[in-house]
Amino acid sequence: MFMKSKILQTIKILIIFILISFNLKNIAIALTFPEEQTINITKNLRCLICQGQTIHESNSDFAESMKKYIKGELENGKTDEEIFSSLVEKYGQWIVYDPGISRNTLLLWALPLLLFLVGGAIIGKRILKKI
Amino acid sequence: MIISQLGYYSLIFGLLTSILIFFNSSIQIKKNNSVISNKTTGLIGFQFFFVIISFISLIYSFIISDFSNETVYNNSHTTKPLFYKITGTWGNHEGSLLLWLLVLTGVLLGFIFKSKNEPNNYRQLTILFHQIIVIGFFVFILKTSNPFNEIFPVATEGLGLNPILQDPALGIHPPILYLGYVGTSIIFSAALASMICSHVNKSWAKEIKFWILFSWFFLTGGILLGSIWAYYELGWGGFWFWDPVENVSLMPWLSLTALLHCVVTLEKRELFKNWTIVLCIITFALSMAGTFLVRSGILNSVHTFANDPSRGIYILTFLLVLVLLSFVVFVIYENKNFVQKSEIFAWSKETSILINNWFILYFLSVVLIGTIYPIFLDVILDEQISVGPPFYNKLILPFLIPFVLFMSIGPSMKWIKTNIKIGVKSFFIIMVTLILSFVTIYYIGSKNIFLLLLFIGFFYLLLKSLDQLRQKTKNFAQIFSHTGFSLLLISILLNSFSSNEIIRNIQVGESFSLKNEKILFQKILVEKEKNYESIIGFFEILDEKNKIINLHPEIRIYNEPEMATSEASIKTSLFKDRFITINLIKDQNFFNVRYQHKPFMIWVWISTLIIMLGGLFAIFRKNKEVNI
Repeated sequence: MFMKSKILQTIKILIIFILISFNLKNIAIALTFPEEQTINITKNLRCLICQGQTIHESNSDFAESMKKYIKGELENGKTDEEIFSSLVEKYGQWIVYDPGISRNTLLLWALPLLLFLVGGAIIGKRILKKI
Repeated sequence: MIISQLGYYSLIFGLLTSILIFFNSSIQIKKNNSVISNKTTGLIGFQFFFVIISFISLIYSFIISDFSNETVYNNSHTTKPLFYKITGTWGNHEGSLLLWLLVLTGVLLGFIFKSKNEPNNYRQLTILFHQIIVIGFFVFILKTSNPFNEIFPVATEGLGLNPILQDPALGIHPPILYLGYVGTSIIFSAALASMICSHVNKSWAKEIKFWILFSWFFLTGGILLGSIWAYYELGWGGFWFWDPVENVSLMPWLSLTALLHCVVTLEKRELFKNWTIVLCIITFALSMAGTFLVRSGILNSVHTFANDPSRGIYILTFLLVLVLLSFVVFVIYENKNFVQKSEIFAWSKETSILINNWFILYFLSVVLIGTIYPIFLDVILDEQISVGPPFYNKLILPFLIPFVLFMSIGPSMKWIKTNIKIGVKSFFIIMVTLILSFVTIYYIGSKNIFLLLLFIGFFYLLLKSLDQLRQKTKNFAQIFSHTGFSLLLISILLNSFSSNEIIRNIQVGESFSLKNEKILFQKILVEKEKNYESIIGFFEILDEKNKIINLHPEIRIYNEPEMATSEASIKTSLFKDRFITINLIKDQNFFNVRYQHKPFMIWVWISTLIIMLGGLFAIFRKNKEVNI
């Protein structure tokens, strides 16, 4: 019984870790300077005319004009979320490297975590059988 | 012309030999012969020989620029340096498949020589299963990807090799990677064979461990070379982007790593028999699936040489057949000889290896689902999404902390049962870990608690791994690879969190600064090489101690095919890389200059080499045991 409560606790800690990592990233992004903020946004956008490059890395005309556009939008006081959603509306979800959680991507996020729990259950059963 | 013919007929003879070996093995298995006849060994030798002849013919056609050969015409050019003519042999779809076949037949020959002490019917069955794969690939090459197709009229000049593939690291990247990638095939064949012969035991584990280490070693090396190439050739200063094609090589690596740990348990304790077999099958299936994804043109990248759906369909069908075959074998023979004799205690090495496999398979599932989910979504709902670094970071990073903690204490666990002692020494290590982590966090000026936790985990692993050097019986393989792994994680983290960069559009004579450094654009120089023209920028960097560093990034304009590439100029030091690239801006006198500080970059490469060194120790230690 002692072991079981220990495992429950481990799972609890894991969940807290996940929550922390999600939140801190947002906070970290919000605290950065405009130039870095532009980079943070463009690093998360696909250069649509390149092969597997972000807009940040690319020097293509498309990427350059996007960088200018985003910088301008930030200076106009738009938030990251507003910029992302307007881009998604225009170019589709394909342009954002972060798939985000939506109806279409629920399984994408949930499946690995589910597999992790199932794996943990199998191993836990095997080891704790005799206790 | 004649050489191409020779290569082609060698392939056909190779296929015929395969069929011969297949039937010969079937007969031998029925007869239950106690030794493998010289005839079988000879045939396997011949098969390898035919593939070598075919491979050499293709290389020769590339060297002499025989443009009557379609593959050469499509991928070579007379002005290319000899080295790139040779590496161009596998820088295309047809040639790379021939290389695949070469390794595939080569590892079987290696297996025959290495497995002399194993029971005969196990060896015969391995040959049989392996020939199924070999025949599949022979037919694949001859039917859909013949490297020796002739074209008429003969062109006087070829179309040339993609310039970004004209690079020394990338020249040797495919052969090294393939040794690892295709090396997993023999693990698969042997796993199925051992299952049928109920030979899944300590001696088999010892035997197959060599091939697991072999594949793992070369796969690690192949991935390393690919990353180094991406770092300096693609000109963006990164080395890993969670690109589908990178993921495809990481997946078999992860499952090989899990298998590596699992097979040790089989060797020492005769535990996890079924699980080992399943991992063997998964590993090869992932290699095949990777080949399918890359070769079918579903994924868009520099590795996708041609988008031909018939090739993709063939590999997919073949993969499904192999998976089905292994599934049937597994279901039939699973319970035949597998008696679970011993139980597992919670505090034991067995448990720690189970936990290792648990986490590694979780990481594997993240990568697998992240790679194929968008494909399915596209096919089923016709919606396109991108799954990039943010997804992998979010799902992998938090789990790395418990993973490295388990990895730190795992090696000090004993087989069967361990008594945990927490002494002054453990307290000391924890204190040093905390001090190191806080100093590091302070140094990079971050207030992120999550980052601190990551560093604590990684430093703890580093210290615990190094701590084992004090033990009487040292497991150098494990110490090196675990130390290397912790160093790798630390340097990646430092690298990604304290990189700096600046992008400016400037003219010659102008300057700009990053941190305390002044960067001066002195002049440009235009030079003409055999196969490209190059614009070289001369930059002078004055660092914080007023020391002068010269960097010379290039823009290369290749003639065949006509294409401009940007060559980074990198000054490496122990603590940071200075990385500069230039690009032309259309119709202007300005250059787009990008200057980056990449901290601890060299440590990413060094630590991967340390990991590989661990693999080498494991391979040679095994040999020593055999000698005794």
